Amino acid sequence: MTLMLAIDTATPRVAVAIGEDGRVLGSVYLSARRRHAEALVPAIAYLCEQTGVELRQLGAVAVGVGPGLFTGLRVGVTTAKIMGQALEVPVVGVSSLDLVAHPLRFGGQMIAAVLDARRHEVFHARYRPVSGGVQLVTEYRVGPAVELVAELEAGGEDVVLAGDGVASNRAAFGALERAVDAGREFEAPSATALVEIADGRVGREEFSAPWDVAPLYLRASDAELAWGNRR
Amino acid sequence: MTGTTVLTRSADETRDVGRATAGLVHAGDVIVVAGELGSGKTTFVQGLAAGVGIAERVVSPTFTIAREYVGSVRLVHVDVYRLERAQELLDLGLEDLADDAVLVVEWGDVAAGYLPADHLAVRLTPGPGADTDERTVSLTAGGPSWGARADAVAAALDAR
Repeated sequence: MTLMLAIDTATPRVAVAIGEDGRVLGSVYLSARRRHAEALVPAIAYLCEQTGVELRQLGAVAVGVGPGLFTGLRVGVTTAKIMGQALEVPVVGVSSLDLVAHPLRFGGQMIAAVLDARRHEVFHARYRPVSGGVQLVTEYRVGPAVELVAELEAGGEDVVLAGDGVASNRAAFGALERAVDAGREFEAPSATALVEIADGRVGREEFSAPWDVAPLYLRASDAELAWGNRR
Repeated sequence: MTGTTVLTRSADETRDVGRATAGLVHAGDVIVVAGELGSGKTTFVQGLAAGVGIAERVVSPTFTIAREYVGSVRLVHVDVYRLERAQELLDLGLEDLADDAVLVVEWGDVAAGYLPADHLAVRLTPGPGADTDERTVSLTAGGPSWGARADAVAAALDAR
């Protein structure tokens, strides 16, 4: 029996769940806005209390590694890494876009997971439903919403749109003819999906040491600022 | 991109340009202030801050990197002078501020790819005359929301 703590903070919503062998014992969703750091740990404590799970019983920690908004994302990833290290258990990092797409796996159509990257940009990836889950058919990318819309239009395929990037760029996505919006229920990464996906990975020993788990930023954050000879 | 250029003959006049701009800013805006050392970037921001009702003395955040003031809007004043890498800029979590504060970034032109394209660009250059207090201040509206305010920026500067 493996007990797992699952955390995703890639969007303004904090998602936490505790699972046992892939089944969710309890979950908490909080619209934390920019208070991820204040909301996350009390949510974990509440869930432990309500499910009767003690931290030292955990066999793994799973975390959504983005891409997502920077401040929230690093709260979740850092918390997961610290807990993994302190409890001496493996950490499983799963893309937060996968966690948006996974709950839609029972429809026949292609799924576009779209998370808000602010300033009319989105983090996105596309998936096809396959037996037992979804399969990633693009890379994880960041770019203007209008560019993704143009690509989907050119693809000419029916697509289900999910994630908070759709509502934030309503004008762009509204122009798509062969698309349906999965709506509010699917706008943020699912902690239930994280428990399910991560449990499979733990079973196949596809996990990392806590220090090897890193957020997916997608933007070239190692680049130097363009100072030239100016200082 | 639509721009307006004005000449100022003293720090007070540069401050007035900042103050004149204040009537046009609202939460979520980004203002990039460019210009070499001593060109009056902080002076401009002082005027802007006074214009949005900030009574506190505004000083350059070169060493603190970011300072926050509260007037009729929240104003986050950032100076990237001591930053080397984009990662350090991302570490400030500026994207999360965008919604409910005015973000003013000194030397922001070196971080162009990491700041919203929709911003007001303010550039200060010494001169054109030999008088050391003279400055050429150009304000350029980029992106849809500032583009729509370009005429208002020009009018505000005329009226100052």
